[in-house]
Amino acid sequence: MEKRKKRGYLEISFGWLFAIIVGATIIFLAIYFSTRLINIERTTTGTETTKEIGILTNPLETGFESAKTSSFTLPLEIKIYNQCDNYSGIFGEQKISLSEKSFNQWKKTGMEISFENKYFFSDDEVEGKTFHVFSKQFNFPFKIADLIFLTSSLNTYCFVNSPEEVQQEISNLNQENLKVIGDEECPQGGITICFDTGECDINVASNYVRKENKRLYFEGNIALMYAAIFSSPEIYECQVSRLMKRTSEIASLYDDKKDTLSDRGCTFDFEANIASFSNLARGITSSSSLNEIKTKADNLDNLNKMGECLLW
Amino acid sequence: MVNKIKNRKFSQYNFFSKNRKGQMRIQQMSFMLMAVTLFFVLVGIFVLVMRFSGLKDTAKTLEEENAMLLVSKLANSPEFSCENAFGALSNCIDADKVMALASREEYQEFFGVAKIEIRKIYPDNGNIACNEENYETCGLIKVLERNVKTLPSSSTFVSLCRKEIHENLIYDKCEMAKLIVTGEDKT
Repeated sequence: MEKRKKRGYLEISFGWLFAIIVGATIIFLAIYFSTRLINIERTTTGTETTKEIGILTNPLETGFESAKTSSFTLPLEIKIYNQCDNYSGIFGEQKISLSEKSFNQWKKTGMEISFENKYFFSDDEVEGKTFHVFSKQFNFPFKIADLIFLTSSLNTYCFVNSPEEVQQEISNLNQENLKVIGDEECPQGGITICFDTGECDINVASNYVRKENKRLYFEGNIALMYAAIFSSPEIYECQVSRLMKRTSEIASLYDDKKDTLSDRGCTFDFEANIASFSNLARGITSSSSLNEIKTKADNLDNLNKMGECLLW
Repeated sequence: MVNKIKNRKFSQYNFFSKNRKGQMRIQQMSFMLMAVTLFFVLVGIFVLVMRFSGLKDTAKTLEEENAMLLVSKLANSPEFSCENAFGALSNCIDADKVMALASREEYQEFFGVAKIEIRKIYPDNGNIACNEENYETCGLIKVLERNVKTLPSSSTFVSLCRKEIHENLIYDKCEMAKLIVTGEDKT
C-alpha cells in the first residue's frame, strides 16, 4: 500500500510533461530570437553610424581652403577602428568599423564599411564620445587627395616650438584638442609634439616624424607631416602607399591631358616625365622611398609653371 | 461469473473513456500551444518585416545623402578640379581631364556611386554624348556609368573649362554645366 502511494507521489501526468517541454521550448525560442533581434538591431545601428561617419567626411573635401575642421558627438562611448588595406583594388581601401561598450566590455557593432576615395589618419583604435576631424589637401606636386585626421576629444595634442606656419594653422582651426604651447600650458596626459630635439612623445624633424621609435618620412606640403603625427606607423605607411597609387593614376590623367592639349597647339617641356613619374609613384610602398620621387615632383611642378598651357 | 464479466467490461469501458478524455486534453493543449507559438512567430515575422523595410529606407537615405554630399564637393576632387590651370576658379571642372577620366575602367568603383554625368547648360547642346571628336559641340559627358539599380540624382552647377585654340591663340573657354551624381540602390 505504502509502495503504491510513493509511486503516485512522483507521478507527473503526460499532459503536464508535454506542457512543460513545449513551454520550455517556446520560452527558449523566444529568448533566442529576441537575443538575435537585439544583435541584428545593434549591427544595424553600428553599420548606419559607421556609414554616416564616412559620409559626413564628404564635406571635408577642400577647395581653395588650406584646411577644414569638423566634429561629431555620439550618444554612447565608442571605439572607431581605422583599417587600411593597400592591396585590394587599384587604389586600396579605407575601412572603418565600430565597437561600443556594453557591460564594461567592447563589443564590435555593425559591419565594416570601406571607401576607395578616403584616407583617414588616426591611431588603429580611437576611443571616445566626441571626435574631431580635420582635413588638409596633399599636393605632390598636384592635388592628390584630402587627408582626414581623426582624433578623440579625450586626447590633447600639444605642439611645442612649432614653426610659424603650423602655429598659424592650428590657431585658425580652433580645434579644442590641438594646443600651441607658448600661448597655453599642455594639460596633464597631453601628447607632446616637439619640433626640436626635446623630450616629447612625438618628435618632428625636417623630413620625418619620430613616433614609437619609428621614423615616418614625409614630403610634399605639410599635410603628410600632420598625417604622421596623428596616425599609427602602420596606418601611415599603408595610407602613403595608397596615396602613391592615386598619385600614379592622377599623373596618368595629366599625361593624357597633355597629349590632348599638344594636339590643340600647346607646347610642353615634359616629354615623358609625367609617365615616368606615374610609374615611379606606383612602385612606392613605404614613406622612406618618398624622397626618390620628390625631386621629380618638384621638377614637374616647375616645368608646369613655365609651360604655355598649365596642366594643373 | 456473469457479474465478473460485466464488471470487467465496465472497467474496460471506463478505462477507455478516461484515456480518451486525457487524449482530448492533450490535443487541446497541443493545439493551444501551437496556436500560441504560431501567434508569436507571426508577430516576430511582422516585426522583422517592419524593421527590414525601415532598414531598406535607411540604406536608400544614406546612399542619397552620400550622393548629395559628394556632388557638392566632387568638383574639388583632383580628378575633376581645374586647380590653377584656368586661374583660381572655384567649382570648376577641367573638361580635358574629365574626358580622360571618362575612358578609365579603374575609377568604376572609386567614388562609390552609380553614375556621374556633366551636362552642358549653356550653350545647350542637348543629349549629344561627348567624345574626342565632337568635344566642342556635344552636350553630355558620361564620366561614370555603372549598370546597377539607381536612386534619384543630385546635381550642382559648375564651370566646365577647357583650352581652345583660335588663330594660333590659346585661350580658356568655360561653359556653364551641371554636375549630376546618381547613387546606387543597394537594396
